[in-house]
Formats: sequence, structure tokens, C-alpha cells
Amino acid sequence: MRSYLALLRGAYMVGLVYRFGFLFSIAGNIIYMSVTYFLWRSIYQNRETLHGLTFDQTYIYVALGSAVFILLKTYVDWQMSFDIREGMVATYLIKPIDLQLYELFTSFGFFLMSFSAITIPTVLLLIFVFHIQIPLGIGLALFPFSLVLAYLLSFCFDYFIGLLGFYTESVWGLSITKEIIVTVLSGALIPLQFFPDAIQKILLWLPFQAIYYTPLTMVAQSTLGWEIFLPMLSVQIFWVIALFTLTRLFYNQAIKVLRISGG
Amino acid sequence: MSLIHIENLCKEFKILNRREGLSGAFRDLFSGDYRIVEAVAGISFDIESGEIVGYIGPNGAGKSTTIKMMTGILKPSSGTLQVNGLVPYDNRIRQAQIMGVVFGQRTQLWWDLPVIESFKILKEIYKVDQKTFKRHMDMFNELVGLNALYSQQVRTLSLGQRMLCDIAASFLHNPQIVFLDEPTIGLDISIKAKIRSLIKMLNSERNTTIILTTHDLGDVEALCQRIIIIDKGKILYDGDIKKVNALFGAYRTLKLQIDGFNESTLQTLKTSLTGRFGSKDGFAIAQTEEFWTDVTFDQARTPLSDVLNFVMTNFAVHDVRIVEIAMEDVVKRVYDGALR
Repeated sequence: MRSYLALLRGAYMVGLVYRFGFLFSIAGNIIYMSVTYFLWRSIYQNRETLHGLTFDQTYIYVALGSAVFILLKTYVDWQMSFDIREGMVATYLIKPIDLQLYELFTSFGFFLMSFSAITIPTVLLLIFVFHIQIPLGIGLALFPFSLVLAYLLSFCFDYFIGLLGFYTESVWGLSITKEIIVTVLSGALIPLQFFPDAIQKILLWLPFQAIYYTPLTMVAQSTLGWEIFLPMLSVQIFWVIALFTLTRLFYNQAIKVLRISGG
Repeated sequence: MSLIHIENLCKEFKILNRREGLSGAFRDLFSGDYRIVEAVAGISFDIESGEIVGYIGPNGAGKSTTIKMMTGILKPSSGTLQVNGLVPYDNRIRQAQIMGVVFGQRTQLWWDLPVIESFKILKEIYKVDQKTFKRHMDMFNELVGLNALYSQQVRTLSLGQRMLCDIAASFLHNPQIVFLDEPTIGLDISIKAKIRSLIKMLNSERNTTIILTTHDLGDVEALCQRIIIIDKGKILYDGDIKKVNALFGAYRTLKLQIDGFNESTLQTLKTSLTGRFGSKDGFAIAQTEEFWTDVTFDQARTPLSDVLNFVMTNFAVHDVRIVEIAMEDVVKRVYDGALR
């Protein structure tokens, strides 16, 4: 375990090296937040609620969503595809480490970095610049856990695409497709309540909503209460365990391609 | 029981026959037209603890494939392969603990971080205790003065400095076997010498087995007692380096740029050289590229410095290069039966 913590520390330090990238992300985020602020303001004109959500709730959801979007981008798929094409995978395979955990912990270093550099500033902006009232509820306390679980899920998808790189060499198309599917079906852009009822029901059975909808709802509607949040967390935990196991099994298959047909 | 035991090892790759052009690329999408390439075609050898073995051959001979099988990255198609009594690809994580690998073209250091951080990460990955870590770091510093580099970002290191760090890093966890895949590629003479002495000292210090692939015969001469020559997936020679050395190692080509070169220069050079050193040394003189005259001779019989001195004093030499016999030439001559 200590070896993986060392990897995490290393990745966090690399994040510090690229701190200017984060500054640009924050700047971009402010612009996005401003645009969405006025967009949703005009949608909510003359209306108290929309699909049961107030303006504040929707706006918290959407604005925080954009910060979380940057946070949950692991880039593991791009990184692995690059490593596979360049033959760098060999340098991981000669070390006494597990590839899945290696990728997880190095990307998690970046997660921590962007949590402190992007997510927290976004929340501060929401409160002090856009004057949004974040309701103080039990959901806020659960948000960090939910966010980490969401990250693990997002990681599983990216890792899965990365493993496909052993078969296809380039994962460009796969990666873009995954991005679109996850973004739309997870409620990253708009809350799931805004989808038609039938589609909502289907989406709740899929793992995608556990990535964005769950953690964002915990902040936007933080007063909903345990009886709502506990099942949501359990669903997240279920998907984390399921997808982690599945990608582990898939690794054993994918690595055979390399070990049989060469790197 | 030897440390590495290889018997009749084979590795085949299935390669898609790619067609030409855009329409060909489209047809390739649905093509089942594969050909089998035998990268390693039945090799056998044993390597004992503490040996430094030069594993050489031209590009595409199967060297890297063999190394990748020994390190557990690739699975052999057939044959026996045991490292320290275990099959590498079935026990990858366990075997990784007793191996160190340097791929000359790639680094295992963290590109964006100061050198010392990579060492700290490797310390945790290989579970090296603090005392051993400190002892090894002191040793690396003593051997090549690595302390001066520790706070530098890896990306800002020169190729030679990076290679020194990479080699030191591969010895950090005190492995039984270290694979060095072209460690001196693209380096200048002084760094090469430094790297050779580092490898040599690390080997004698810890009795580490070292398997070295290289295109530089100088590396092999400086480090190995035994060499294995491989070409087209088959072993051409496995044995004492002295025997190979006697045939090729001592030959050097002196490349000269002579001012006022003309048709008769070659003849004059030949006459005066044989006049000075005798004809038995067989000076081969030829013009291989424009402005350059090549003088090839046996260094074991006529000291290089003598020839150089003689030429410099008697001819208006503008520029000089000393070239060793190319690996391809050695392999070609072995192939033609020079060692049989």
C-alpha cells in the first residue's frame, strides 16, 4: 500500500508542476459559470421552480457540475493509449505493481490536486460572487465520499477504454464516444429531473448517473435526508465494486494481447 | 541450477499484411491476411549468477523479444524459460522484485519531478528499507556523483545524465539480475566510459548478473566475458568474447580528411604506411565517401597511436575519426562461418 501512496504523492507533485494549467481551468470555469448563470436566469424568469428544482438548486448543480467535470476527468484512457503505442507499458510491467492500482493512484494524485485548485475555488465563487445559498444539509457531509466514489467509477470507464487500447492501438474514437455517452447519460450537463420520466427510470438503472447526478444532488438538494442519500450511496458503492471487478477481469484478457502479440 | 535457464525458446508474432494506399487501408479493416513472423526461433542458453553477458545482434534479431520474455512481459510461444527457478510470465510481480531493467530508449524516471523523487517512489515500490536506501544512494554518489543531479527535474537532464540515473535506479532494490537494453545509445565517449565503469562496479559490488544488449562493440569489450550473438531469432555464437575479439575487435578504421586530396593520395598513403609498418599488417585503404579516406588495420599488431602519429606528421590531415567495426559486419562475418 505504501508503494501506491508514494505514486499518489508523486502524481500530486506533478500536478503542482503544472499549476498554471489549473489557473487556466479556473479562468475557463468562471466564464462557463457566468454564461450558465444568465442562461438559467432567463429560463427561470417568472418561475419559482422547474421540474421541482429552484433556480439556486439548478444553478448549484450545473455550476458545480462543470467543476466536477474537470475533476472527474482522469485522462487514464489517453495516458494508457499513449503508453501502449509508445511501448511505455513495458516499464510498468517490469515493476512489482498492479497496473490498475498504478493507474488509479497516479490519476488520484491529480484528482486531489484539482480538488484543491478547482472545486474549492468554484464553491467559494458560488457563495461569494454569485451569491448562491448552498443549503446546509446532511448531503454536504456526504458529498466528499460520494465524489470519491464517483471518481472511482469515472476511473473504471476510462481504464476500460485504456485497456481497449491493447486491441485497437488508438482509442481516440472510443474515448470521444465514451465521453459523450457519460456526459449525456450521467446528468453532467443538466439534472436528471429534466429528462422525460421514462428515460429517467432507465438512467437510474445504469451506472452513469452515479458519477455526476449523485454527488451533485447531494450539494444542490443537501437537505433531502438520509432515506434518499443512503440508497444513492449504496448504488454508487455497488457500481464501484462491480466495475472494479469487471475491469480487473478484463485486464487479464487484454494483457494477453500484449503478451502474445508483442508491445 | 543456473539463474536463467532457456531451452528451445520460441516466440512467434502474427502480423497483419498491410496493403498499400487508402483503399488498401480500408480493406485491411476486414482482412484476415496474417503472416507469422518468428522473432525468436528456438534458442537455448544458461546464465549463471554474477555473469555479465553481452547479448548482441543487428536490429530485429530478436534481442528485445528475448529480454521481454525473460522479464515476464511477453509469453513465449513454446520452449522452457526459467529465471531463478520460476516462470517469469506466471509470476510477474514476484519476479519483478528480483529484476532491474533499463530500456535505453525509455526512462523509468518521473519526467516532471526532480530526480530524487523518482528514487523515493522506487524505494516504496520495491519496499527498500531506509538503511539500504541510504547505503545505495551513497554508493551511487560515490561512483558517479549523482548527488549533484538529485534536485534537477528529469526532463532537464542530458541524455547521459538521465542514463546514469536510470541505471542507478535499476540497481536500487538490489536485484539479482539487471537487463540493460542499449544503455549507451546516443551517448558521447566520456559518458559511455562513465556508464561502463558504473556497470562494472555495480556488478562486482553485489555480484549482480547483468545482461547487456548493445550495438556498441566497445561496451561488450569493456564489460563482458561472454557474448551471445543472435540473428534472425537464432543463436550464432555463444561463448568467450576473446575468440570473437581476436577476429574483429582489434580492427579499427581511421577516417582521414586530407588536404589537397587527389587520385594519387590513396596510393601514396598505402606505400608510405606499408613502408613504415611493413606489409604484413594489411592496411586496407579506400575512399568510401567524398573527402574521407579510410584506413583499416589490426590494432593488436600496429598500435593505433603509432599509425595516427605517422599519418599526422607525414600528411596534411584536416580531420580524423576513429570508427570501430560495425556490429552488422561482425554478425555478417560470424554468419559467413568465421568462427566455425
